Amino acid sequence: MATQHSRAAARVMISPAVILLLGWMLIPLGMTLYFSFLRYNLLMPGTESFTGWDNYYYFLTDPAFSSAIVNTLILVGGVLAITTIGGVLFALLLDQPMFGQGIVRILVISPFFVMPTVSALVWKNMFMNPVSGLLASLWRFFGAQPVDWLSEYPLFSIVVIVAWQWLPFATLILLTAFQSLDQDQLEAAEMDGAGALSRFFHIMLPHLARAITVVVLIQTIFLLSIFAEILVTTNGGPGTASTNLTYLVYAESLLRFDVGTGSAGGIVAVILANIVAIFLMRMIGKNLDA
Amino acid sequence: MGRITLDKVTKRFGEVEVIPPLDLTIEDGEFVVFVGPSGCGKSTLLRLIAGLEDVSGGEIRIDGRDATEVPPAKRGLAMVFQSYALYPHMSVRKNIAFPLRMANMDKAEQDRRIESAAKVLNLTDYLERRPGQLSGGQRQRVAIGRAIVREPAAFLFDEPLSNLDAALRVGMRLEISELHERLKTTMIYVTHDQVEAMTMADKIVVLRAGNIEQVGSPLDLYRSPRNLFVAGFIGSPTMNLLEGRAAQAHGAHTIGIRPEHLDLSRESGEWSGVVGVSEHLGSDTFLHVHDTGLADIVTVRASGEVELRHGDRVFLTPQADKLHRFGENGLRLA
Repeated sequence: MATQHSRAAARVMISPAVILLLGWMLIPLGMTLYFSFLRYNLLMPGTESFTGWDNYYYFLTDPAFSSAIVNTLILVGGVLAITTIGGVLFALLLDQPMFGQGIVRILVISPFFVMPTVSALVWKNMFMNPVSGLLASLWRFFGAQPVDWLSEYPLFSIVVIVAWQWLPFATLILLTAFQSLDQDQLEAAEMDGAGALSRFFHIMLPHLARAITVVVLIQTIFLLSIFAEILVTTNGGPGTASTNLTYLVYAESLLRFDVGTGSAGGIVAVILANIVAIFLMRMIGKNLDA
Repeated sequence: MGRITLDKVTKRFGEVEVIPPLDLTIEDGEFVVFVGPSGCGKSTLLRLIAGLEDVSGGEIRIDGRDATEVPPAKRGLAMVFQSYALYPHMSVRKNIAFPLRMANMDKAEQDRRIESAAKVLNLTDYLERRPGQLSGGQRQRVAIGRAIVREPAAFLFDEPLSNLDAALRVGMRLEISELHERLKTTMIYVTHDQVEAMTMADKIVVLRAGNIEQVGSPLDLYRSPRNLFVAGFIGSPTMNLLEGRAAQAHGAHTIGIRPEHLDLSRESGEWSGVVGVSEHLGSDTFLHVHDTGLADIVTVRASGEVELRHGDRVFLTPQADKLHRFGENGLRLA
């Protein structure tokens, strides 16, 4: 019974967890906020002083900033497009009855279990390397000049690597959604004269809408903060061609030793992530109702 | 027009023959009910006619044309599923419009057909709702609406009422019967419920293990079942089937007598027994009579006012002209 008394007791009892969680989030956020208003350079310890909005001014007017924003959006958008479209198609394939279904499904899921640094290194050294990579061999087999993927198409390469990691996740979620589709609906549509394509667009895709929403929301959260794949492959380069916001913050703080500007960048990233989240929830969150 | 002929239609799933060669003709405008216990192949037969399953042998003709290899959409048949199979993300209007949209029908004609179907089925007020916001009976009507707008040659119903509660089922049964009277279109209706079969059908097809046991009007089947299976399946409560001494007295291996064709008396009669449970339905009372030496329980229909108690001794006399006699092979004796 939720009496006044038991509710008060409940509040007391959950308070340690809540306080811990709040501290966990608020202290780093507060410190970042504090650092972002300091002139704080790791090469000149002990000279920290309050500088007002200078750090924000330098960060936002840095030419790298606008390219980082564009790169982040391309990275998120590209990976989302590949994983949702590819995921729907893969799920459609895996939903068909076939020999060795269980093993094939596990194989498809497995890239998700490889940690990001490892998979990025595997791609870098075994696939995209212009001398010893598998793709280079393939190009040579057809008599073409091997492509140095990571320096010629750095952002595209990273999109491919990250999409490869997230495709299994999208496939898994969408496959379960396919499996919950009532077969009678498909048969009814068939009786109603809908061909295979019509059935896909009018029956299957609307059924998947909610699962696609979940995939897009969850992936966006993680894709905004892609870092390891960039660090171990291109280091954000050449120039800033593959620098996203997360990597730019890292570069400011730990490559240029300017913690103040880095912190300002961190705060900017938090604000942008929230704006994206609000838009996403507005646009597709309504799919999650009902 | 909707005359459907099945000629030696066979269905095998791998090694298992679900439907051995089967012949059946369904006349235009008929209300045919496939009835049988679960697993008897009645739904499979309907799906073969619909084209949702491929036949393993034989031929299906619709209005004289061979439709065996014709895809479901081109057969001109409409189906109502047990689960209704409505499209949950579309409004009622869009659900009903779906087959018309797929046929690229002109928009004004679509609207005209939707409006008239909605009027027939009392759905006009619900056209903008989603299926999730409707009750079971309303969903059922939407499913029927989606079928009738196509103006099909025949309607196929696959146990359409089994997801409804008892009261609604009776109501929908009447609505479907009335719809048939109005549209005069061929309807094929699958059910395991012999009451639905009896009340709705022009012609009942009793199926067992993929075989047609008997085809006939409800009263034909009731009055002269061709074999023991049909005798036991049609009618509620079921016919009393008696073997042994009592049957031999009538020159048969088994005799069948319906509960309403047994005369009840306290003084004298052909058989005697002790009253067990009596089911009072108000208009009638069904007495379970034990210890007759004929069968475990003999069911007797008595009037609603009968004053008999548990343990009373009663005498039963079968009405001789209503007695069904069956031979050793289970077939009816002339």
